Amino acid sequence: MKSHNMSFQEKLLDSFIAFEQDVDLLNPIHKDRKDALKRFEELGFPSKKDESWKYTSLKSLVQKDYNLYAKSETNVELKDVKKYLLNDIDSFKIVFIDGVYSPFLSKTTHDGKDICVLSAALSKDKYKKRIKKYFNKVVPSAESLASLNTSYTKEGAYIYIPEGICPEDPVQIMHFSTGSQNSIWLQPRNLIIADKGSKIEIIERHQSLKDHSVVTNSLTEIYAERNAFVDYYKIQNDLKTSSLIDNTFISQERDSNVSVHTFSFGGKLTRNNLNFYHKGENIQSTLKGITILESNQHVDHNTLVNHAQPNCESHQDYKGIFSDRSVGVFNGKIIVDKIAQKTNAFQQNNNILIDNKSKVNTKPQLEIFADDVKCSHGCTVGQLDKEALFYLKTRGIPEKEAKALLTYAFANNVLESVNIPNLKTRINSLIANKLGVNLGFDL
Amino acid sequence: MLEINNLHCKIEGRSILKGINLKINKGEIHAIMGPNGSGKSTLANVISGHEDYEITKGNIFFKDQEINEFSPEDRAHEGVFMSFQYPVEIPGVTVTNFIKTAINESRKSKGLDEMPSSEMLKKIREKAALLEIDSNFLSRSLNEGFSGGEKKRNEIFQMAMIEPELAVLDETDSGLDIDALKIVANGVIKCSNDNNSVLVITHYQRLLDYIVPDYVHIVMDGKVVKSGDKDLAKKIEEIGYDWLKNEKS
Amino acid sequence: MAYTEEELKKQLETKEYEYGFYTEIDSETFPVGLNEEIVKAISKKKNEPKWMTDWRLDAYSTWKSMEEPNWSNVKYEKPNFQDISYYSAPKKKPDLKSLDDVDPELLKTFDKLGISIDEQKRLSGVAMDVVVDSVSVATTFKDTLEEKGIIFCSISEAIQNHPELVRKYIGSVIPKKDNYYAALNSAVFSDGSFCYIPKGVKCPMELSTYFRINQAGTGQFERTLVIADKSSYVSYLEGCTAPSRDENQLHAAVVELIALDDAEIKYSTVQNWYPGDKKGKGGVYNFVTKRGICHERSKISWTQVETGSAVTWKYPSCILKGNNSIGEFYSIAVTNNFQQADTGTKMIHIGKNTKSTIISKGISAGKSQNSYRGLVQISPFAKNARNFSQCDSLLMGNKCGAHTFPYIEVQNKSAQIEHEATTSKIGEDQIFYCNQRGIDTEKAIALIVNGFSKEVLNKLPMEFAVEAQKLLEISLEGSVG
Repeated sequence: MKSHNMSFQEKLLDSFIAFEQDVDLLNPIHKDRKDALKRFEELGFPSKKDESWKYTSLKSLVQKDYNLYAKSETNVELKDVKKYLLNDIDSFKIVFIDGVYSPFLSKTTHDGKDICVLSAALSKDKYKKRIKKYFNKVVPSAESLASLNTSYTKEGAYIYIPEGICPEDPVQIMHFSTGSQNSIWLQPRNLIIADKGSKIEIIERHQSLKDHSVVTNSLTEIYAERNAFVDYYKIQNDLKTSSLIDNTFISQERDSNVSVHTFSFGGKLTRNNLNFYHKGENIQSTLKGITILESNQHVDHNTLVNHAQPNCESHQDYKGIFSDRSVGVFNGKIIVDKIAQKTNAFQQNNNILIDNKSKVNTKPQLEIFADDVKCSHGCTVGQLDKEALFYLKTRGIPEKEAKALLTYAFANNVLESVNIPNLKTRINSLIANKLGVNLGFDL
Repeated sequence: MLEINNLHCKIEGRSILKGINLKINKGEIHAIMGPNGSGKSTLANVISGHEDYEITKGNIFFKDQEINEFSPEDRAHEGVFMSFQYPVEIPGVTVTNFIKTAINESRKSKGLDEMPSSEMLKKIREKAALLEIDSNFLSRSLNEGFSGGEKKRNEIFQMAMIEPELAVLDETDSGLDIDALKIVANGVIKCSNDNNSVLVITHYQRLLDYIVPDYVHIVMDGKVVKSGDKDLAKKIEEIGYDWLKNEKS
Repeated sequence: MAYTEEELKKQLETKEYEYGFYTEIDSETFPVGLNEEIVKAISKKKNEPKWMTDWRLDAYSTWKSMEEPNWSNVKYEKPNFQDISYYSAPKKKPDLKSLDDVDPELLKTFDKLGISIDEQKRLSGVAMDVVVDSVSVATTFKDTLEEKGIIFCSISEAIQNHPELVRKYIGSVIPKKDNYYAALNSAVFSDGSFCYIPKGVKCPMELSTYFRINQAGTGQFERTLVIADKSSYVSYLEGCTAPSRDENQLHAAVVELIALDDAEIKYSTVQNWYPGDKKGKGGVYNFVTKRGICHERSKISWTQVETGSAVTWKYPSCILKGNNSIGEFYSIAVTNNFQQADTGTKMIHIGKNTKSTIISKGISAGKSQNSYRGLVQISPFAKNARNFSQCDSLLMGNKCGAHTFPYIEVQNKSAQIEHEATTSKIGEDQIFYCNQRGIDTEKAIALIVNGFSKEVLNKLPMEFAVEAQKLLEISLEGSVG
């Protein structure tokens, strides 16, 4: 029975024909798009019946209607967005306004490495081989939202760091939404390849410039070849009218080291699907996050580390602080395959509930098929230490600051592994800001 | 008691022992010294029958029978005891429970009944007193959370309980302060008599001040390069091993 | 030197199920299949009052509309519910007043099980109710218990003699429609145990039920109801065995515990149903629903040692409704060969200052799969709730799996929840250390496994702890990590 209004899901399916007018149908990836659309058609949006969506409902989001494109040209100047960028260091920048690349605000390069946009890479022959080798290779077909993103692949960051190259400057990937449409659905697609022995640092941020209904269904593929280092930072501090579904899939070859830090402070509903797949031995994977929520914010960290090779290590450490009516979800899965002997896999999830209306649902899972492994997970839910709070107050620190100090201390070990000092400072000030304090100590 | 002839052995394809000869008679105390990596601990493990070590040549006789192919537990039943350099933790198994099992398994192999509880208890008390171990210690999980000293003391306590004919002490002195060292050494001496033998493997001469050996052997690069009496150990302490580099046994 | 892994594996595979014998007892078995008539026939056979028959029929119609659950981490061939006989009773009706009248064959069965009723009676002072296939055949120590006002009998008797208690509490913790297997049980249960401890009475002895599936092609659907009235105390033991058979047998029990204000119930299970042979053929499907409700200041403690069954699916749970109530769950689950276990608990915190503790030890060997699945839920009203959970897994060999699925849902800020899980194996260095002390590899494994499980074994009543230790040893013979 068809409802009177076309559902958004149908709209996504129907709009594909229009989308096809806009892209190169002869590009080999177009088959990926079409296959993915078919799968999305079969799977639809996930519902609470899906085990991995037990605690997060997309219903209220996908019941609404969204525009799939921005209104023509939008005039955004550097001064409008400057405060969201890290400006005090040299960096490459790939900036998108309402899903459209802004060369004016960006700083890209093809000099000894490619830090540019996917549309450009798709259109040029010299990238064809590499795109064919990597594009969509690590994305499992059963993921409906990933399939949806794949079907509308058009724009995003494209980064290729050749063998042995270690750029000193990090890359900032910025997605701004201007509110030129009342509601918009964005689907950026990033492809990041770190070839053998290379190293790259990336900071990613999604930001609305004014209150409006925006949902971003983003997908990032990261390929770390042998002995490559990738350091990825996600800053999620968006307005409370914006929602984000972040799908990140990471493929690691032997001796590589990938770490992803996720800082979730803003946004209305955020779902982070972070998946690590191991393809060789002696791999290191790090997943860390700080989540600080208030009002009716909802953040769901859904992680997977699939240990498929021997002698690899993974470390997960997620801290959450929840006040008001906010909801935190941690759904972390570690799979250790039969052959993945000598795996070390550790997972920690610690939460503090500040208010009685806030909720935490946590589900750390271990699925172990190899015997010679060290795997553990720990998870706690509690409050700030009352004794410590009292101690601080007797030293003259007011309640609010004392709480902030303790919260900061609680989350601090996640920050220790942030390798870009200016970024660490920025995160510190975001935390202070979120906690509503101006802390008198060095942040 | 123990006779080792031209013993060669390998671990993971690497040759460690390259022709060890050693003879220990009843009632004797022998000491083996040598620099790091010379094969001292390997020798202890081979005597105990560790599966990772492959005997490629030579043989080990214990009480006049060749034990090359004996399993570790069979050797233990025959009367071989090794005090481990790094005693292993077994969570949830108490010291008492462990030693009871060990003693009764040995008795079972000899066709004896289990030791009556009262006798066991009496013996535990007696030997615990010898090593100045208090009763709380006996109900803790084996080696779990033990200090270095406690672990070693526990090894010697087990030795005292099991009453082996040959005790191999692998670096029992490492990680011990002087007081603990005295207690451990005292325990070993009180247990030794004319019918059993002790093989002390050590890095330092210090222990030999308390457990005075009849013979001292220096092992270098998988061979015994020099044997002598306790003065040899003193000499090593003073001038090190370098002068022995060109010696052939 | 010592064993090679191959030798050990071979030895393990050839190890037979120690309790795999079948007793020749004349029994009266219903035709296979399930329909309304069978449900009515069971009820009629037991001479039940109309309310009970109606209750069963209601459960049956609910069951018909339900779908078999699919969500747990186990794979098995679904039972054909029309191929099972829903009633099998030893034919010679034993006179419950005297053990002498019990079928001698049956007594031999218990002798083989090492639980001769007589011996139990004399030595350990444990009062026993024995359920074979589906029917309760012997209850000991009735008089002693009656003096204290304790009712301990089969549930069929309770329906006849204490209908007011049964009617009030049956289905009050586990509603008929709670889940597929609970609904099935509610429709067709043929017997089980009933226990009521009056106000202020501390039950002077352990109460015990022994379950055995004997007849081929039968399912066992026993129903246990334990009510501890205000300020009373009871420790209840449950043991299970089944003979080895090629086909899979179904065991779908329901256990309901009610701890009224200030009462305490300790419920211990040693489950050793036939696990199937080394190829994974046969074995019992153990789909059990167990749940207790705690009123003010009361305490329910579940302890289980699960070594048997081809497939186990059970989550003994506590609803901590009363303020200051306490729930505990201590579990050892051992799987070997092709066994699958998906077990854990649910701790539902509703009252203020409620506390729960979960200690789960999973040991996997052979090609088995062992999962812990648990829920800790803190409702918005459960101020100052506390939970501590620890789930440890031990893997032996590289063909088995150990899985942990804890669900933690917290809706009150004053809650304090801690969950820890670890996975480890038996170290070769541990084995060598034991060998050097004269302990062979088999014995060393038993010792290490016992140590690993100790926190739970300590929770069992003395008589059961010894049996449980022996079972652990038997279940794991020859499996080396």
